Amino acid sequence: MFTVSSYCTAVSTNSPRLSLRIRMIEVVCNDRLGKKVRVKCNSEDTIGDLKKLIAAQTGTRWDKIVLKKWYTIFKDHVSLGDYEIHDGQNLELYYQ
Amino acid sequence: MGSSKKHKEKGRDKDAEERHREHKKHRHKERERDKERNVTREREKRKRSRSKERSGRGSEREGRSKGERSAGEPRVKKEKVEAGYQESPGIGPQSASGDASLSIEETNKLRAKLGLKPLEMTDTTKELGTKEQPMVAETINPVYIKQQNEMREKLAAMKEKRLLNKKLGKVKTLAEGDWLDDTVAWVERSRKMAKEKELAEKRAKLLQEMDEEFGVSNLVDEEFGQTKKAAYSSRDLKGLTVQHRMESFNEGETVILTLQDQGVLEEEGDVLVNVGLVDKEKAEKNVELKKKKPDYKAYEEDESVDDMATFKPRTVLGKYDEEIDGEKKKSFQLSKGGCAEGERERELQAIRETLRNQAQSLEMPALAIASEYYTPQEMVGFKKTKQRVRKIRKKALPDELQLDDTRNTDFGSRVRGRGRRQLDEGQEVSKEGVIIPGLDVPQQSDDIRMADMDISDDEDFIPTELAVLEEDEAEQDLQKQLEKQRKKLKQKQLLQDSGEKVAEQVPWLARVDGSDDEDNKNNLNIVFNATSEFCRTLGDIPTYGLSGNREDQEDIMDFEQEAARDGAGGSDSDEDENVGWSIVNVDEEQKQPDFSTASTTILDEEPIVSSGLAAALALCKNKGLLDTQMQKISRVRAPTGALPNDNYSIEDKMTIDDKYSRREEYRGFTQDFKEKDAYKPDVKIEYVDESGRKLTPKEAFRQLSHRFHGKGSGKMKTERRMKKLEEEALLKKMSSSDTPLGTVALLQEKQKSQKTPYIVLSGSGKSMNANNITK
Repeated sequence: MFTVSSYCTAVSTNSPRLSLRIRMIEVVCNDRLGKKVRVKCNSEDTIGDLKKLIAAQTGTRWDKIVLKKWYTIFKDHVSLGDYEIHDGQNLELYYQ
Repeated sequence: MGSSKKHKEKGRDKDAEERHREHKKHRHKERERDKERNVTREREKRKRSRSKERSGRGSEREGRSKGERSAGEPRVKKEKVEAGYQESPGIGPQSASGDASLSIEETNKLRAKLGLKPLEMTDTTKELGTKEQPMVAETINPVYIKQQNEMREKLAAMKEKRLLNKKLGKVKTLAEGDWLDDTVAWVERSRKMAKEKELAEKRAKLLQEMDEEFGVSNLVDEEFGQTKKAAYSSRDLKGLTVQHRMESFNEGETVILTLQDQGVLEEEGDVLVNVGLVDKEKAEKNVELKKKKPDYKAYEEDESVDDMATFKPRTVLGKYDEEIDGEKKKSFQLSKGGCAEGERERELQAIRETLRNQAQSLEMPALAIASEYYTPQEMVGFKKTKQRVRKIRKKALPDELQLDDTRNTDFGSRVRGRGRRQLDEGQEVSKEGVIIPGLDVPQQSDDIRMADMDISDDEDFIPTELAVLEEDEAEQDLQKQLEKQRKKLKQKQLLQDSGEKVAEQVPWLARVDGSDDEDNKNNLNIVFNATSEFCRTLGDIPTYGLSGNREDQEDIMDFEQEAARDGAGGSDSDEDENVGWSIVNVDEEQKQPDFSTASTTILDEEPIVSSGLAAALALCKNKGLLDTQMQKISRVRAPTGALPNDNYSIEDKMTIDDKYSRREEYRGFTQDFKEKDAYKPDVKIEYVDESGRKLTPKEAFRQLSHRFHGKGSGKMKTERRMKKLEEEALLKKMSSSDTPLGTVALLQEKQKSQKTPYIVLSGSGKSMNANNITK
């Protein structure tokens, strides 16, 4: 009765219209030196909170972490939603 | 990275297969399956991460995971979720390297520790897994879905059928009826039906009777039956509107009005119109439109006043009101009995008229040019001022002195001269000392005029009359004086002789003296002073009398002033005076040159050295101090260019030295040597080219220019030149007497060899041997 082939494997963590509400996102932070961390956080979390989460996972101090995208340094007091950091985005992990 | 992707895919596929297997087996155990999937996924991931291991994080972990895996697989189906999670080593990253992530629960724990809100869990996040462990959604099986739909439809159809059958089941078909078989039953039924009918009729009758009792039958009849309507009389016309102007109906004519077409849904009252009138109105409107009256009057006022004295403000773009709001139709309503008397209209008209009459026109009286002269009406109240004849001190005055001085006087003008005279009572000012007599009557200043008037006529104060009179008198004055002037000129012309003039002057003077007793006694004796006369002869310079270097100047001045005071006649006397003086001057001039000539003849011998250099030289010459012989001095031929002058030099712009003009200049010695006059060399300049040939001037110049410019001819040119040279050389080599091939020489040799004076020309070459013919 059931065919073997599957038509689609839908991987969806988010529903279409989510621009207004808070949602859980997973952000990938990579420092290109071997540390690649996936952090689950809310879209309303600030960068500072994210840094803390990263620190917990990587083992560095959170105030030593600098998150960047190309030359844009993400400031601590702005939320991820305001920075339009979506689910699955890659952030560059640097240290100061 | 690509390889890792492949790994991932493989892993995914594996997972899918596993899932499917599980799907088949454990269809209803969704939750467990999911969690198991998670666990397997993790395991897979660990496998993968190990495969691309970079930082070698924890081989112990590897071992652990391996062990777990091996242990976990049999546990997959049995164990619950928590066990799987408990295996993970705390909060740190679970895998060796690469993607490290915490699960939601762990994250929440961490967040709680940090003091953050827990993760936002939406429905989707709860049900389906996270990114790293994506939950596979249920496979959409279209076949299955189709089947389901079909089933549903079938069921629905069956249900409907059932219901229908149920309904219809009650109704018996004809075939089912048993009454055909049983006539008795049929008969019974039919009787029953008839009975019921009767009953129904009875009931209806009863009801009707009841209606009649209550008097409702009429109404009922009206409603249901065809009732004859009552006659439509004029009283029904009350309140209807007629959509025409009252004025369009004339007395005595009958106009048929019809109901105007209205929309079905319109519930407004009926409107009566006459078709003809409607058309007429339309035609009129069209005519008006055709006239093309201007829509917009730019100068229209903001408010216009209506007939009824109501203010109607000017609307913006009023021409479109009709279009927007709709045409305003004039109409009137019929009153009781269908009459329209139009009383109201008449009342309004009456009101309008009254208002119009009451209105005040804002027009001013027309502006007209004011007339310069009084009209006869105005002249009635106009009184002439009395003329006050001023008593004048002067005697022997001409007639015209009877003028009223108050008008023809100057008021402090400078021409009068210095030393203002005391004014007599009444501001009598002396007449202007006119050298040009009576040219202009001095303008009276307003205040003095006023003063005059005040003095003269206080009662009759009419200013304009005075001015008019004054002007007339002034004109008369002027005319008289001009006449006098003309007379005088004529007299002058007649009396050419100076002596006569003098003679005339004396009695005139005497006459004048006689008039002025007080001051003119001195003037009987005319004093002639050399210097004064000389000064006078300088000419009729306006400085006459102004330089103040004359003894009798004051006298003259006084004389003049007193003459001025005479009035009109004063000018005449002045004129005569001047004439007299001029005459006198002529005499003096004549005397002067005689005096000068006399002096020169006497002093011929001794010129006055002081008179000038010429005189001094003349003196010397006379005395023989000067040598008057002219000596000839050999003139040295000056070189070109003027002698340099230290004190002054004439700068001529043409000789300004500039380097270009200097070029042309030859500064050498222009003169030939005298000793070398006989020397006449024979100069021949020969130019030679590199081969030794003599060059023509053209070639020589070419050579020079090549040398000068530093570059010679081009390729072609040189080739040509070479060719030419070669040709020339050849030409030179050629013998003049012989042909180029040396035929003559050959012939001569042949002759020598043959020892004959002739040559046999034979056609064949055999006769001529090569030995003989060779050169």
